[in-house]
Amino acid sequence: MKVKRDLQFDAIVIGGGIAGLQSALDLGDQGYKVAVVDKDATIGGKMIRLSKVFPTLDCASCITTPKMSSAAHHENITLFTYCTLGALDREKPDQVVAQLRQEPRYVDPEKCIGCRKCEYGCPVYVEDDEQGGFNMRKAIYIPFSNAIPQLPVLDVENCSLCGKCAKVCPTDAIRYDMEPEDFTITAKTAVLATGFELSPMEQKPQYGLAKLQNVVSSMQMERLLAPHGPYNRVLRPSDGKEPDSIAYVQCAGSRDESLGIPYCSRVCCMYAIKQAMLLSGALPLADITIYYMDIRAFGKGYEQFYQNAKAMGIEFVKAKVAKITQGDNQTARLRYEDQEGNGGVMEREHDLVILSLGMVPQWDPAGICSVNCGQDGFIQSILPKIAPTVTNIDGVYTAGVAAGPKDIVDTITEAGAAAMEAANYIKGLT
Amino acid sequence: MANDTQEGKILILATESCAYPGANSVGQAHSSYPTNTYILRVRAPVLFPEHFYMDCFRKGISGIIVMSCGEECPYEGAYHAFAKRIDNVFQLMKKEDLDLRRLRLTAICTVCNRPFLKEVNDMNNLIKELGPPILKGEEAATDTP
Amino acid sequence: MSETKKDESGEEARVGVYICHCGGNISDHVDVEKVAEAVKDIPGVVVSHTDMFMCSDPGQELIQEDINKGNINRVVVASCAPSLHETTFRGAISRANMNPYLYEHANIREQDSWVHHGDPATAKAITLVAAAISKARGLKPLEPIRVDAASHTTVIGGGIAGLRAAVDLARNGIKVALVEKSPFLGGNASQLDRVFPTGEKVADLIEYLTSAVAKDPNITVYTCAELTGFEGYIGNFKVTIKRKAPEDEATQLMLKQVKGAAPGSFHPFVGFYPGDVPAADEEETLTTGVIVFATGFELYEPRQGEFGYGENREVITLRQFIRAMADAPATTETLTIDGRPVRRIAMIHCVGSRQIPGIHEADENDYMNEYCSRTCCTATLQAALEVRDNYPGTQILDYYRDIRTYGHNQEEYYSRASEKNVLFFRYEPEDSPVITKTTGEYPLKVTVVDKLTFNEEVEAGVDLVVLATGMKAKNIDSLVEMMKLPVGADKFLQEVHPKLRPVEMANGGILLAGTCQAPMDINESCNAAQAAAAKAAALLGKGFVELDPFVALVDPDRCEGNGDCIAECPENAISMTPDNKAEVNPALCTGCGMCVAVCSVNGIDVQGWGLKEYENMVDAIVKF
Repeated sequence: MKVKRDLQFDAIVIGGGIAGLQSALDLGDQGYKVAVVDKDATIGGKMIRLSKVFPTLDCASCITTPKMSSAAHHENITLFTYCTLGALDREKPDQVVAQLRQEPRYVDPEKCIGCRKCEYGCPVYVEDDEQGGFNMRKAIYIPFSNAIPQLPVLDVENCSLCGKCAKVCPTDAIRYDMEPEDFTITAKTAVLATGFELSPMEQKPQYGLAKLQNVVSSMQMERLLAPHGPYNRVLRPSDGKEPDSIAYVQCAGSRDESLGIPYCSRVCCMYAIKQAMLLSGALPLADITIYYMDIRAFGKGYEQFYQNAKAMGIEFVKAKVAKITQGDNQTARLRYEDQEGNGGVMEREHDLVILSLGMVPQWDPAGICSVNCGQDGFIQSILPKIAPTVTNIDGVYTAGVAAGPKDIVDTITEAGAAAMEAANYIKGLT
Repeated sequence: MANDTQEGKILILATESCAYPGANSVGQAHSSYPTNTYILRVRAPVLFPEHFYMDCFRKGISGIIVMSCGEECPYEGAYHAFAKRIDNVFQLMKKEDLDLRRLRLTAICTVCNRPFLKEVNDMNNLIKELGPPILKGEEAATDTP
Repeated sequence: MSETKKDESGEEARVGVYICHCGGNISDHVDVEKVAEAVKDIPGVVVSHTDMFMCSDPGQELIQEDINKGNINRVVVASCAPSLHETTFRGAISRANMNPYLYEHANIREQDSWVHHGDPATAKAITLVAAAISKARGLKPLEPIRVDAASHTTVIGGGIAGLRAAVDLARNGIKVALVEKSPFLGGNASQLDRVFPTGEKVADLIEYLTSAVAKDPNITVYTCAELTGFEGYIGNFKVTIKRKAPEDEATQLMLKQVKGAAPGSFHPFVGFYPGDVPAADEEETLTTGVIVFATGFELYEPRQGEFGYGENREVITLRQFIRAMADAPATTETLTIDGRPVRRIAMIHCVGSRQIPGIHEADENDYMNEYCSRTCCTATLQAALEVRDNYPGTQILDYYRDIRTYGHNQEEYYSRASEKNVLFFRYEPEDSPVITKTTGEYPLKVTVVDKLTFNEEVEAGVDLVVLATGMKAKNIDSLVEMMKLPVGADKFLQEVHPKLRPVEMANGGILLAGTCQAPMDINESCNAAQAAAAKAAALLGKGFVELDPFVALVDPDRCEGNGDCIAECPENAISMTPDNKAEVNPALCTGCGMCVAVCSVNGIDVQGWGLKEYENMVDAIVKF
């Protein structure tokens, strides 16, 4: 283990997704020194991995990249990527202490120039989770083209130690002997913006436990639709066929007691509609059906977006899908109770089925931080109506999906609110 | 030193918030495209008056692609003013007997690799087909390349 | 082409060119030595170097050395994309005490060596560097524009959002003028009883904020007040606040209700009363740095006859129902309102929300509310549950399109309503419920085609119909006109971009908080207000606002004063001086360049991104 460092900041932000970045920018712009910590090798969180975003249909990358790069270039913001959080708590009124570990990238960040020669040279191919597992990456790689920082990570699980990357690196930056490095950050205030994971696809037997062909998650569909996605077009994963019939199963990981997720995840209706619209552009001849319980298009411009989708010919069927099985010719067969029309149990086959998964908390503070969470696992506010970002720990705030499911617009606004609380906490100390 | 002048030069005006990073993204993907393309980073193409385009043709630029942010333009009213300006340029081009396809307006986003490549290749094929631009008013006195 | 260029100090441009190998990323495809050789004789170039890594410390020192020796006063670096290292090189130049804007970047990696190969790649690099040199020669030193900023904000609207923003700004040390039209604080929230999903009394929430307002010396509250004058720009607005005695009947009535009450108290369904109602008109003009809009919403008023509203006294809005429930006995078998037992209530969702052209009726201005009002589903179920919990003899029939209990801990309201035997009927907008008078057991009858039971037509007699009316944009036309504010098709105030700049309007220094932007519930309004406060604090914290120097500048020698640029400018940033020359206010200019194109005498240009520089670059591209 290397020598411990203790770094001082005004604020520490846990999570470098859109919430964390916005909080950091709003604090940094007020002149406070901010540390942003991300366990991932790049900042950008979930948003940078999306295709386009509702309701403007802006490309997600175009909206996220400017915020990522202004955080990266900000004189008051320091990024700590590929770092895990061991502990965070308040020790004194003006001291929050975070124990962190810099995980080894096996690449010297001081020397690396981000040229990717190591990546091109590496002979090992690994399934790329960044692309929904649909194509391959190398064992040393920069997560994606607009990752920040532009530093590769060596994936030790899969590296064959062939030495090729070290040989081709023009700056001699590869360090096979790199070790984790522990350090602490002391700050006056903290913002917890730890975000979400998709609700698990493997847990619902009725939906095939993620084992059915051509039943994919909504995040995989984001990648299929992304401009720099795995196939550069939308294809059915099992055989590369262009799907003629595509279905969305809404509330596949929300509003479902059997999954332990009784709450609404707020974004799935809108992202399904958005994906459906993008699909109808990419595959004009395909039939697209959305099976839903209630369409929750509640944000600014969202209802109009939904009505446009209807006008475009996307079919909305009010039904909770009861069961998905493998159909003929690698299709997925949906069984549902038809609430409209004549009723009764119906079955329909689709070439490609997307499960609209919900949101579950990414981070469990148990044993790391004494912040209170609700039964649903999201961080709890002690003033949920009037100051939604305030937690049970003095001067520690929360923002974005860490505090409950939220869309990007609401997340960004809440991140600004957390920054305001954090700034005023610092002001109150003096 | 100079390029193969036979194929002519293409000027690309690319907005700094959308199309210019888009062109960089093509670079990151190492996708090859014709070399006779010169990308200028602009804040908003609305800056350029009609005569700028005509001067470019007069100077010997064979094709111009304006890659803007489209409706996502960050400057209020600029995109519409710009679209109007391009209409005016088309009128001037008509007067000079210039093929209107030599000026192309398109929206390119930061990760629009394929549309970028398509635009560049289309324009390159076009100027190969059309040859160098000759303005009507200058036809008589054309002794410059 | 070869005339000598001088900068403002009268010095000739002496350009240093630095070409990066990028460890082979560039030099594998571009012959960088050949490029350096080819450009070294271009007029104005005094040094032309290559380096393995220009971005490394030794690379940067190379530039700094040449500057320190007095060799160069312009810098061109040819390397990777400017987004990666433009700031690096500007920083290096600054540290060598040269103006960082005397710098131009040539992108020969992403836009050359990574997409082209061999001799053509080298030729293109030469052209790109030559173009950069021609631009660099014309560059002038620029300084960021500094505008003094008053540490003062004006918050318009004393509802939850306005109060929240005022409290946060004041805690940040910024002075606040809180301007409220009525004599009361609390806004629309005052018309509620308890809030979802916490069940807190709205009075407690409002008093939490108003007590903070009262305690904070940084806040000055102006009730019975409106903004009547506005001028200036970010950091330095002048606003006129006019207070006058309230004249309208509704306000008089509310004032009557609080008559004799101690100032500084909350009155249910009226608001927080700070006292101090002006007897005569008062006017004050303030200098303020930022203006926060928190003007709130108006409730949709159903049309005469819409679901029987206005024609039957048994048809009321949800707001009226909440009020009536507050006055009813706390728990009895059956709810009684106005002395009448209410055995069965029909609650109808989406009244004045989610309206669809061709199905719903537009208002007199041919306008309809196509959006979802976001709060009414949960509020309706909250009221329904309160009835079921406290008056078990009163039945609820709920007529909805989609139940949108999206928020944290709100889905429970939906599941509990089902458990508590609230009966749900789902209708399509083209088959909306129809309310008719009857002479039978119940005064009214509701008829609907129920989508949940295979389009069966269902009739039910009810004692009361409650309409869940939506939110409308408040009419603030006079402010919109005076301040030239952007308004969306839904008539709410429009942000610059919902994700990039969600609490800012296009007008610099004018921010958005709460339901003046779109329907929101109380916690969403508070988040928006705090986000706006954070933005204001960032803008005003330093005492000055620093703006990009890339703004338009008039060349008074060329300007003929025809005013074309003034007419073109979308920001009203250009004015005419007494001696008939255009003049740009850099605080208002966004540098879009619209003025440049319309000037027939090239009398205006954007600094750092000028038309002249582009023309020079085109010349270089043609020549090389």
